[in-house]
Amino acid sequence: MYNFLQRLSGVTSFAMSTLMALVVVIALTTPFIPSSPTFDMSLHNVQTTTGRAMDPYDRMSRKAEYARLTFDLDADLSTMFNWNTKLLFAYVTVDYTTPGFETNRAVIWDRIIKNKRQAKLKLRKHHNKYALRNYPLTFEDVEGANLTLHINPVPYLGIMYDKPVVSIPFTIPRPVKPAAGSA
Amino acid sequence: MDFVTNAKKFGVRSLLLQGLTFLSVLTSAFMIWKGLSLFTNSESPVVVVLSGSMEPAYYRGDILFLNNGYSPIEVGEVVVYKLKDKPIPIVHRVLKVHTQRETGEQFLLTKGDNNNADDRGLYNPGQLWIQRDEIIGRVKGFVPYAGMGTIWMNDYPQLKLGLLGTLCVLSLFSND
Repeated sequence: MYNFLQRLSGVTSFAMSTLMALVVVIALTTPFIPSSPTFDMSLHNVQTTTGRAMDPYDRMSRKAEYARLTFDLDADLSTMFNWNTKLLFAYVTVDYTTPGFETNRAVIWDRIIKNKRQAKLKLRKHHNKYALRNYPLTFEDVEGANLTLHINPVPYLGIMYDKPVVSIPFTIPRPVKPAAGSA
Repeated sequence: MDFVTNAKKFGVRSLLLQGLTFLSVLTSAFMIWKGLSLFTNSESPVVVVLSGSMEPAYYRGDILFLNNGYSPIEVGEVVVYKLKDKPIPIVHRVLKVHTQRETGEQFLLTKGDNNNADDRGLYNPGQLWIQRDEIIGRVKGFVPYAGMGTIWMNDYPQLKLGLLGTLCVLSLFSND
């Protein structure tokens, strides 16, 4: 009545449809799994200098101002690991506004956290990993700077979502040496 | 030989019907793809990861679902971009965003999680930022390994021809 191929096709098509249904259910439920991470971040100081970082692709980078932040970060993200968490991408951003640019946001530090053992972050007087500079050469008229920690959970399968967590306001000073004009 | 006897047995009409079914399968697949493209505002709403520059988040052969809504791009989002004059789309994370106040134009810098430096070395010569129109979409959903078939077909083009041939032959000889 049924030959081998028909049986095989029936079994595989049923397996595929259940697998698809399972994928959809897992993808939709994962963002609602509760977690209770703890965070604490503090900023020690911000220094602005010129001619520190060099970008080989940007000819103007030698003349630009660079901000160097010193910050502490304490976080316990281990509760954010559930059965559908492949890794957590933790990153710290600086954002500010200028007259010419409505939003400016840059990642200054990031870390890939692969398991619960790595999920307890304890950084003391840490500096930014990526050079921070403004789109123009200087940090002139920069307002409302914020330092924010974000967590981006990457699932084994499913929907991407982002969790901004702690945010602290600060100001970016101009270089101490009077380079051009008064600051 | 087999084909000719089959054609004699079922007649031209049924052969044409087979052809029509085959075409309708093809067109409906194309319609779903284009519909999805319209819905997500992205020229290719589903992409396969081709390189290891986003490991350990995304590996070669993983499938990404994209959305290219009008809202501005945020730092930390994983985006797929295609540079002008370069054929291959790249999946990387956004490192810097500057949004101009008057025009709303965005200047973006990206970096792969597994790369040491940002993407300025990958951009076109003299290009320091990528812009909104170079972005195909932001990654919204993710299914691992599902695109391995595409990778194999890319690596071994004979596989693609063989698969297509088998499908054509099967569709001609199936009788439902």
